Amino acid sequence: MTQREVKLLARQTNQRGGVGSALRGILRRSDTSVVIATLILFILFSFSNSSFLTPFNLFNMSRTASLYVMVALGQAIVIVIGHMNLSLGAIGGLTVVVAGWCMDTMGWSPWVAAPLALLIGTLCGMFNGFIIVKSRLNSFIVTLASLFIFTGLVQGISQGFPYSNIPKEFTMMGRNDLMGVPFLFIFVVIVLIVLGYVFKYRIVGRRLLATGGNLEAARLSGIRTDNIILLAHTLSGVFAATAGLLWVSRMGSAQPSTGTDWLIVSFAVAIIGGTALNGGEFSALGILASAIMLTLIKNGLIMLNVNVYFEQTFLGVIVLLAVSVESIRMALSNRSRRSQVKSTA
Amino acid sequence: MLQIRHITKSFPSVRALDDVSVDFAPGEVHAIVGENGAGKSTLNKIICGIYTPDAGEVRLDGATIHLHAYKDALDRKINLVSQEIQVIPKSTVAENIMLDKLDRYLAGGRIDWRRINADAARYAEMVDLTAPVTQPVAVLSAAQKQLIMIARALSSDARILIMDEPTSALTRHETDNLLQLLRRIKGEGVTVIFVSHKLEEVLAVADRVSVLRDGSLIGTQPIARLTKEQIVQMMIGRDARTLGLGALTVDAGPPVLEARGISQTGRFHNVSFALHRGEILGFYGLVGSGRTELAQILIGEDRKDGGEVYIEGKRANIQSMADSLFKYRMGYVSENRKEKGLILSAPIQTNIAITVWERLRDRFGSIRLAAETATARDFMQKLEIRATDPGQTVGSLSGGNQQKVSIAKWLAAHCDILIIDEPTIGVDIGAKEYIHQLIWNLAKVEGKSIILISSDMPEIVNLARRILVFKDFAIVGEVRNNGENGAPVRGYDEVSKEIGQYLA
Ligand SMILES: Nc1ncnc2c1ncn2[C@@H]1O[C@H](COP(=O)(O)OP(=O)(O)OP(=O)(O)O)[C@@H](O)[C@H]1O
Ligand SMILES: [Mg+2]
Repeated sequence: MTQREVKLLARQTNQRGGVGSALRGILRRSDTSVVIATLILFILFSFSNSSFLTPFNLFNMSRTASLYVMVALGQAIVIVIGHMNLSLGAIGGLTVVVAGWCMDTMGWSPWVAAPLALLIGTLCGMFNGFIIVKSRLNSFIVTLASLFIFTGLVQGISQGFPYSNIPKEFTMMGRNDLMGVPFLFIFVVIVLIVLGYVFKYRIVGRRLLATGGNLEAARLSGIRTDNIILLAHTLSGVFAATAGLLWVSRMGSAQPSTGTDWLIVSFAVAIIGGTALNGGEFSALGILASAIMLTLIKNGLIMLNVNVYFEQTFLGVIVLLAVSVESIRMALSNRSRRSQVKSTA
Repeated sequence: MLQIRHITKSFPSVRALDDVSVDFAPGEVHAIVGENGAGKSTLNKIICGIYTPDAGEVRLDGATIHLHAYKDALDRKINLVSQEIQVIPKSTVAENIMLDKLDRYLAGGRIDWRRINADAARYAEMVDLTAPVTQPVAVLSAAQKQLIMIARALSSDARILIMDEPTSALTRHETDNLLQLLRRIKGEGVTVIFVSHKLEEVLAVADRVSVLRDGSLIGTQPIARLTKEQIVQMMIGRDARTLGLGALTVDAGPPVLEARGISQTGRFHNVSFALHRGEILGFYGLVGSGRTELAQILIGEDRKDGGEVYIEGKRANIQSMADSLFKYRMGYVSENRKEKGLILSAPIQTNIAITVWERLRDRFGSIRLAAETATARDFMQKLEIRATDPGQTVGSLSGGNQQKVSIAKWLAAHCDILIIDEPTIGVDIGAKEYIHQLIWNLAKVEGKSIILISSDMPEIVNLARRILVFKDFAIVGEVRNNGENGAPVRGYDEVSKEIGQYLA
């Protein structure tokens, strides 16, 4: 018994510590590749283009990246539980239209409009979650249906016309800065830090991850998985609505078309950012890095005078690349661990 | 004839096999034994082309073969009953049995379902599977799924049949039947590779036995030359201890949990029993007799159509596992670790601490990661869970080590009532003793009340002083073995015989 324990311990300690283990730890993280790729891209662009590192360009890019982060969070929070939200953009669009209608048509203060729009978005997410939990249908079907429901509402309310009479105080968030750093970016970083903390240290975050990892096992461990599913979809609505409001705040007008292109962006940023598609994994740092990366690429394409109409094609290719890089990373991390075992054995 | 030569295989964290060579003869049952994580399943998977070895070769009829997928093995009539349950939940029993040979039932571009069902029924009967072949397997128990996998292998006229712990969830009845079948097909010249932690089975059916320890082959011997003790000695490098558990004094007061007249349409009719403080109550019965199903009702995971459950004398309203755990402090260790017990993609520490996160919080409500790791380490050490660190994903552990994680999470949970369904499926002798000791201490020292569902007769007779025998969703008998002060008054043979009488 004791002899075996000693051996077991020896086996364990053999494999801990040292540079190899640190490297292994980094390789094991799902967000390593995207962080590195983003850094490389950033450096490349800084050298190859003189207008890249200008304050104006950085300011704009960080605002775009911030919006991407917000949109991606709306998707990531449901991907974490192994679901998806196809109606994300439509919820964003509805929020935009409601906010625009309140401020422009009704002339209400942003202090009324914003909470009301946020509430509508939240209710939309909650609606998705509720139907999924009660009907036991999968999230693909339910959110596909609600995509049409919400899109119809957007078009019905706005009749396709933008609301341009948005008060100055509302655009502060999207246009002003603190010592050169856009409010948007600061806000998004705070949200990411909070989420990173929640997923690592709070029970509710852990329960979200557990539910995504194995629904049955999570339920049989005493987790009320229906509540967790409802929560994830509600939060998805909250993030989509927030993204919508920030979008209006940045643009200075409420366009009913907002959100129509969010689907690919949300999946691209979330997946590249290391959110495992079958659930159970989340990385705040990864999402930030991948949002920045996509912005860089978009920026680079414009600078290279590539036809912007091909943008979606590039996004699609990047998603595919990201997934391949992911499997290469897995293989590499395995190889490095293996060679280490061999050298100690 | 099958030979493996100098096989070596490493995984990221461990060398699973180290220069292993074994010859398998036609018409023999060749047992492979060893502790959890010794490398048995890895060896099987290499023979079946699921893993490729880092070094060494597999030879069939004198020629080296290179298999790249399980399909290649099937083509050479090598068949595996894997340790992990592998069935397609939404398909029927028949489809699952005939899964790898559906193309044989093609007639004019269409699959002949009638013939499939008829053939499947024959094999189902052969392995003593009572569920109708047209039923979807999702609703079946782990043991029934295991029988399906055995039937699948038997129906494919393999010449090399590998069985990786095929009996782990089975009761003695189905096991005896299987061993009988194995003797028969061995007579037909088939090579059977048989992995089991139940050495009685190995002694009963094997011709030769190979022992693995820490990835190395300790030796291959004809079974006739070995005793059980010698095999254990080879496996663990020391003698096994026998556990004399002794007396279990049960609180004479009112029951902690009482089921009164539980009914469920088509299944249970008026089932009642009581569980007392500090008691270990055994549920024994054949596969599919309703033990797990009753547990599911108790914890609120399945509805009941009649009857009441009383906990501490009060009528309990349990709608879900969460109610059961948080309102009544009643836990449930699932028999099906892979599907229902574990989050395979998550680290060991998450899987163990999931039931106790509340307890691990600091005053701001954050989970203390250090405490989580410490909890995991504690159990890893106690249960000898073989892993590099608590951060290793559970999916990369060997089957027995996964089982230990699955039970550790409930041992950590501090429940007052614990329903333990097949706690030692696939667990090796040493760890089994330890788990028995832990369960025993929970009842004896901490005064917890335990329902032990087990298909392992020695286990249940050893631990439980009162055993309810289930048959066809009813309790058909109660076997008592508690004399003065709760000490066992009868030996194993006598008790198991009485249980057998109720099942006849
Ligand atoms: N896919 C994998 N990735 C990493 N490690 C693995 C993997 N499969 C097995 N191992 C490791 O290889 C070793 C041998 O595992 P294996 O499954 O062969 O053991 P076993 O003898 O079948 O044990 P058990 O009795 O528990 O089933 C273990 O230490 C296990 O953790
Ligand atoms: Mg195994």
